[in-house]
Amino acid sequence: MSLRLRHLLPLVVLVAMMAMLMLRGYVHSEILADYRIRPEAAADKVPQKVLDGGPVVDTRNGQQTSLSVPDHRIVLTFDDGPDPKWTPEVLDVLKKHHVHAVFFITGTMASRYPDLVRRMVDEGHEIGLHTFNHPDLSYQSKKRIDWELTQNQLALAGAAGIRTSLFRPPYSSSTDALDNASWPVTQFVGTRGYLTVFTTADSEDWRRPGAREIIRNSTPQGGKGAIVLMHDSGGDRHQTVQALDTYLPELQGKGYTFENLTEALKAPSAHTPVTGLDLWKGKAWVFLVEASDDITAVLVVGLAVIGVLVFARFGLMLLLSAIHTRRTRRKGFVWGPDAPVTEPASVLVPAYNEAKCIESTVRSLMKSEHPIEIVVIDDGSSDGTARIVEDLHLPGVRVVRQLNAGKPAALNRGIANARHDLIVMMDGDTVFEPSTVRELVQPFADPKVGAVAGNAKVGNKDTLIGAWQHIEYVMGFNLDRRMYDVLRCMPTIPGAVGAFRRSALDRVGGMSDDTLAEDTDITMAIHRDGWHVVYAEKARAWTEAPESVQQLWSQRYRWCYGTMQAIWKHRRALVESGPSGRFGRVGLPLVSLFMVVAPLLAPLIDLFLVYGLLFGPTGKTIAAWFGVLAVQAGCAAYAFVLDRERLTPLISLPLQQLLYRQLMYIVLLQSWITALTGGRLRWQKLRRKGQVAAPPGVAAATADGGAA
Amino acid sequence: MSTYPTDTTAELPELPQPQARTTVPEQQGSEQQGSEQQGTGQQGSEQQGAGQQGAEKTGAGKKGAGKKGGGRDRYFDLLRAIALFRVVFYHLMGWAWLPVVFPSMGVMFALAGNLMARSLATRPALGVVRGRLRRLLPPLWLLGAVGVTGMLVAGWGPEEEGHPGWWWLHLAYWILPLSDPPYGDALPGVHGLISDGWAGDLGVPLWYLRAYLWFVLLSPFLLRALRRLPWPTILAPVALSAALEFGALSVPGWRLEAQLSDFGAFGACWLLGMAHQEGVLRRLPRYVVPSLAPAVAGIGLWYALTHDLREGHDLDDMPFAQSLWSFAAVLLLLHLSPSWSEWPAGLRRWDRLITLLNSRAVTIYLWHNVCIGVVEALWDRLWGISWLETNASWVLESPWPQLPAIWLLTAACVICFGWVEDLAARRRPRLWPDGRVGAGTHRS
Repeated sequence: MSLRLRHLLPLVVLVAMMAMLMLRGYVHSEILADYRIRPEAAADKVPQKVLDGGPVVDTRNGQQTSLSVPDHRIVLTFDDGPDPKWTPEVLDVLKKHHVHAVFFITGTMASRYPDLVRRMVDEGHEIGLHTFNHPDLSYQSKKRIDWELTQNQLALAGAAGIRTSLFRPPYSSSTDALDNASWPVTQFVGTRGYLTVFTTADSEDWRRPGAREIIRNSTPQGGKGAIVLMHDSGGDRHQTVQALDTYLPELQGKGYTFENLTEALKAPSAHTPVTGLDLWKGKAWVFLVEASDDITAVLVVGLAVIGVLVFARFGLMLLLSAIHTRRTRRKGFVWGPDAPVTEPASVLVPAYNEAKCIESTVRSLMKSEHPIEIVVIDDGSSDGTARIVEDLHLPGVRVVRQLNAGKPAALNRGIANARHDLIVMMDGDTVFEPSTVRELVQPFADPKVGAVAGNAKVGNKDTLIGAWQHIEYVMGFNLDRRMYDVLRCMPTIPGAVGAFRRSALDRVGGMSDDTLAEDTDITMAIHRDGWHVVYAEKARAWTEAPESVQQLWSQRYRWCYGTMQAIWKHRRALVESGPSGRFGRVGLPLVSLFMVVAPLLAPLIDLFLVYGLLFGPTGKTIAAWFGVLAVQAGCAAYAFVLDRERLTPLISLPLQQLLYRQLMYIVLLQSWITALTGGRLRWQKLRRKGQVAAPPGVAAATADGGAA
Repeated sequence: MSTYPTDTTAELPELPQPQARTTVPEQQGSEQQGSEQQGTGQQGSEQQGAGQQGAEKTGAGKKGAGKKGGGRDRYFDLLRAIALFRVVFYHLMGWAWLPVVFPSMGVMFALAGNLMARSLATRPALGVVRGRLRRLLPPLWLLGAVGVTGMLVAGWGPEEEGHPGWWWLHLAYWILPLSDPPYGDALPGVHGLISDGWAGDLGVPLWYLRAYLWFVLLSPFLLRALRRLPWPTILAPVALSAALEFGALSVPGWRLEAQLSDFGAFGACWLLGMAHQEGVLRRLPRYVVPSLAPAVAGIGLWYALTHDLREGHDLDDMPFAQSLWSFAAVLLLLHLSPSWSEWPAGLRRWDRLITLLNSRAVTIYLWHNVCIGVVEALWDRLWGISWLETNASWVLESPWPQLPAIWLLTAACVICFGWVEDLAARRRPRLWPDGRVGAGTHRS
């Protein structure tokens, strides 16, 4: 049950973030936005008395009456707000001249700037609806019009706790501009209980004609009353503010009063307080919009961080792996004073139910060009793994049995039974090349080297999931490990192919079962003990990668969680002195950053990809995605060239970016959740098929297919 | 709602002899397949896939080895049934996204190409082609006998095209459809029974038979080219389609152009079917197809979306987009190809329906469009019932309630005209071949 929850939680987190982004796109008019404006139409169906009548049209209860503003009264109206920059300035000017006005707000803006709406109401101004996101309503269905009004009221209720009965349709002007397309909207809105407010004077301030011109446009002739249209949003409105500051005292001097609409009409206020459920719905809405804006801002920062991290990592990897390659491939390169290393090695093969693979594994070792002894440690297998090995009757192969006690215990038993001081560890499902052991122990020519990581390669890369892991392995071993080698903070000696000096193992106390990733744990311990850990690229081992998503999932979950455990276990290195401190202050942070923190932000790439595809600049989003893909492909190609691999599997890279990467970070999210909730993880064994019988190009060790 | 007669499919299924089906239990078929694998899997260090490949490769050498097991691939049967159902559904609804969801024609051509390659591998080319023609043409002749007679009655005649001589000559395409058989464009229907334009309903889908005929005639050469240069051959039709689309190639006359356009759109599918049979696809690493096919499909879809994909202008009117999309879809479907020698448990209950659809595919294909026309005309009569109009007008407006009626009428056509498929295949005629034991009579 709790495991199910752990699967679910990462998805819930992703979905929640996506929903927040959607909400943001919605209130930023990136969804459902409709920018069509209907051209003028015939007006023969609009009643003449409305066309000639006053600017306030009342179509409630089927009536068709118009109201006019009395003489010497002006109702200022501001459309499209509130705007975070200009609305406060407009409000300041109005306050300065003790003037009330009407603000026709849109739902999107009101949701985003509820404080300004509250201020308008507090300062005695009146609010009217101007729809949720400003479409030309003559194009919209009745359902959509209803929705526009309801959403607009919701935002208003959330912001100021009121509802209003004033409405102004977008793209409207004076009543004589009503036509056969816009009149039905007016009628319909009336049936919903709204007064429709048109204008008598259009300041045309949106054209920015200069303050003088705005004043001229807004001044009524011969002392008549007027409803003046201005805008407090939708662009630079400093001319509007500037004009108001002159216009208001000028007309007040001429005996005009500026009132809000119901004051001018001597009618009861258009505002009614909202209570109960509607109020809470409105508050919840405004809260969610605010949260979505905040979260989006955080996510954008996160995206920037991940972008920088990804590119910095690629740059660093390319640079350092080039350095590493130059150094180790230099002519006459030797690892150290003791080269070449010819000292025999003990190869430990811990095996738990490896009946399918163990024969290939052991037989591949028999071809080793380096003198070795082979110790197979059977960890209580129930499928006769030990028997199979014994029945081979191979010289130099010993089988040690133990009751099932886990891989670290098996390895420790192997170390105790090993006769030599160089100890090679491999997995029971891995196949070595004849030169692998020799190449793997060469770095021990340097007495400072305590452990060596080999080059693990995917043997079964024929399937899609195999090809993806192949790409991952080639990049991991040829870029990441070279980088870590140069930086001296290799986090993991792969369990599939690694070599240790017995003295190093002894000093750190051998393998431990504190973590699920005993290989990472021991590597960190060896670093802290002051040893060098290096990468031997020519020591290739062929391993069988998981072939089902489920197996891959549990393998990666183990690695990921184990790595986090190991980092946590060795956290004290951060404050210690000496080599341990060096690893703690350089290696641990780097490893944590690249392996645990950066992948946590990786979903943002996909989140913004979806967001950008849906509402954003679609073309640019796609271009950016392909740009990142190209960088990735470049790095992968470099890694493949370094490893002398054929480039064809790289054709699966685009799909890997769309399916595989996501799986990896969901596993990581899950590990995080496990870590934070303190769950325990059982050992999950990979079901092997025994497909990797030999390195490519070498005839299968089991020529007659006995294993299969 | 009317039919969009450009999309079509039909397939000439290779049903095993009914006697064989009833006497040989299904298990035996799979057993034989198994033993075949063992016998030929000399390189079979890998698992099943390699074993099958071996079987297929040597199957070409062993005469009739493939057919003997009665080895019907139920997966292919399922695809064919879905394709056929989708075609009928689409001709009723006309939704532009249906051909995107399942590109029936590409799938049908691929399945046909697969069977063609299988036959060509075991029998001489001339015999195979003759056999295919023998099974293709009689159902067409029956349709022509009914349809052309009807057109003549309705007033269609030699004067229709202005050139009586040409008219008589083109009439020969009803015998051997090397080009589209002619039909009367604007013939009146019978009020309340069949609507105007019924001749078009009847004649337009015949492009599929014409395209199929040409694929069959060319197959021996296509197979040779495929064996020599597999991938250039498979991709050549897509290149042809691109050349036609971007004006690099222009052809005189609509008859030749239609043929080349269809070859460009579906040739790659036919060839993929052949390539699947030849084992060309299995020689690729398994990650290649799923990696590349979505990209090809994406380009095709993008092309369609940027070229005004909508109802009435869909993939069928965009041969280039069609060629890419169908190629990718067929590639993926063949890549998945699980080779069912018997039905998975969940599908077993559909066995009889799928078998029926498969064994009467040509009949259903040829007649369904007329059935749709008739049902639509009948449905229009319901407007006369005022109770329906006032209380349940959705029944009249929606195409959904027509669907069962159309299938009912098509089923009637299967009974009336289906037997000719058996005659063409030199089998005992059956009324309702749903694969049941003793299915000689209708639901005995």
